[in-house]
Amino acid sequence: MTARQVFIALPMFLTMYLFQEAVVNQFRLPGGGFSLFLIFTLVWAILSTPEVAALAGFFGGFLMDFSQSSSGPIGQWTLLMIAASYGVAYFGSGNEGLSGSPLGFTFLTTAAVLLVECAYVLTALLFGLQFGNFDQIAITIFGISTWSLVITPIVLPIFSRLHAITFDTRSKI
Amino acid sequence: MRRDGGGRNRLLLIILIVTALFMITLDLRGVGLLENARSGTQSVLSPFQRAGNVVLTPFKNFFSDLTHLGRTRTQIEKLRSENAKLKAQLITRKSADAALNQLKTILDLAGTAGYKIVNARVISQGSSQSFSQTITIDAGTKAGVRKYMTVLSEAGLAGVVKEVYSNSALVSLATDRTFKIGIRIAGTQQIGILSGQGTRLASLQLIDNLTNVKVGDILLSRGSLANRPFVPGVPVGYVTAVDNSASSIAQSATVHLYTNFSTLGVVAVVLGAPLMNPGDALVPVKPEPTPIPTVTIFVTPSPTPTE
Repeated sequence: MTARQVFIALPMFLTMYLFQEAVVNQFRLPGGGFSLFLIFTLVWAILSTPEVAALAGFFGGFLMDFSQSSSGPIGQWTLLMIAASYGVAYFGSGNEGLSGSPLGFTFLTTAAVLLVECAYVLTALLFGLQFGNFDQIAITIFGISTWSLVITPIVLPIFSRLHAITFDTRSKI
Repeated sequence: MRRDGGGRNRLLLIILIVTALFMITLDLRGVGLLENARSGTQSVLSPFQRAGNVVLTPFKNFFSDLTHLGRTRTQIEKLRSENAKLKAQLITRKSADAALNQLKTILDLAGTAGYKIVNARVISQGSSQSFSQTITIDAGTKAGVRKYMTVLSEAGLAGVVKEVYSNSALVSLATDRTFKIGIRIAGTQQIGILSGQGTRLASLQLIDNLTNVKVGDILLSRGSLANRPFVPGVPVGYVTAVDNSASSIAQSATVHLYTNFSTLGVVAVVLGAPLMNPGDALVPVKPEPTPIPTVTIFVTPSPTPTE
């Protein structure tokens, strides 16, 4: 990933983060709503090589750690997003059936959202955070995953276009 | 070449993971730098959240209406007949009126108890991705808000200040599953602990079994040392169901919280409470049924003409 690509990608991540915090978080949707920024980071990771995905996960998770709604220690989301982004990129790059079709892409993103939220709960429990009863956690995870399943196909063309803009620059130059 | 690339990837991954673990360690050890960075981020975000709140208020009302679609079908049918301009005006007006009413009711509530308060607008609802139920308000340290201060809504307790920044604050709502508050029952003075359950229904655990809790009993906050995090006497909710199972050590009950968390627009942070405990002064007055006027008609037959 060249410095030029980083400078193009950085404002995109920041804008998406700002949109999540200032717009998406304004709505209290049933089932816990969705995290557009989380979807964006994961979609970006699937479209990238594992190396770039890990960097995207690091930066995405770093921003999520600074979100006002993040209750865990700073670094928790960063750690999880590195693992998740590297994982989806590694899994997706060798499997055209998953990352090649919109349907497979959507399911891969949703599965990643589901796993990363489960991992967040488990690691948060290790850090001694409390989330209440199991039923409510299960409902929230199910809700966020369902929303991801609905939202991903809608935003996928935009996100993949943004990714293409960033990584086509080099070849154009 | 391929081996070099793989090695570089692994090295990068290790560096990133170690950095993340390093940040976690620093944060758990309470290093101020990271906490200040989080606070700084919030200070940068709060103007955008405030702007987003202003712009999105009509849309939020729209989504709120959507969630009540089943219950307000008849009303929606009536509303369809109105023209678009009137609807838009109504939404804007409704929003302003609701905020005004909330503010007026909060001031009445705080005035009765003698609380010193600062009003704030809700500028963001917290994301559920981290499994917490929070709101962000547009008052921070500059307005005198400090961590662990009670937050009131028009109906009673809304939550407690969890984090505070220069121009905004993060409020943990009473519905949050980690939220706990010491309460007493108005009248009987029986005490217990109320826990948030993620919805408007909360769980009450009484300390002893000596007296009975009844459906309809009103719960008030018990108050904390130096009034933080909770000032005494704030209405919290009322009992809707009681669990009298013989196996339980202490009585438990389900409580309906007074505050409607989905319509929170204006809240008040209690900066200070009077030395005197307001007692049961803030117990909400039960609505009295409006008497239906009855009309009695006396009919006097007109005298029959006699010849």
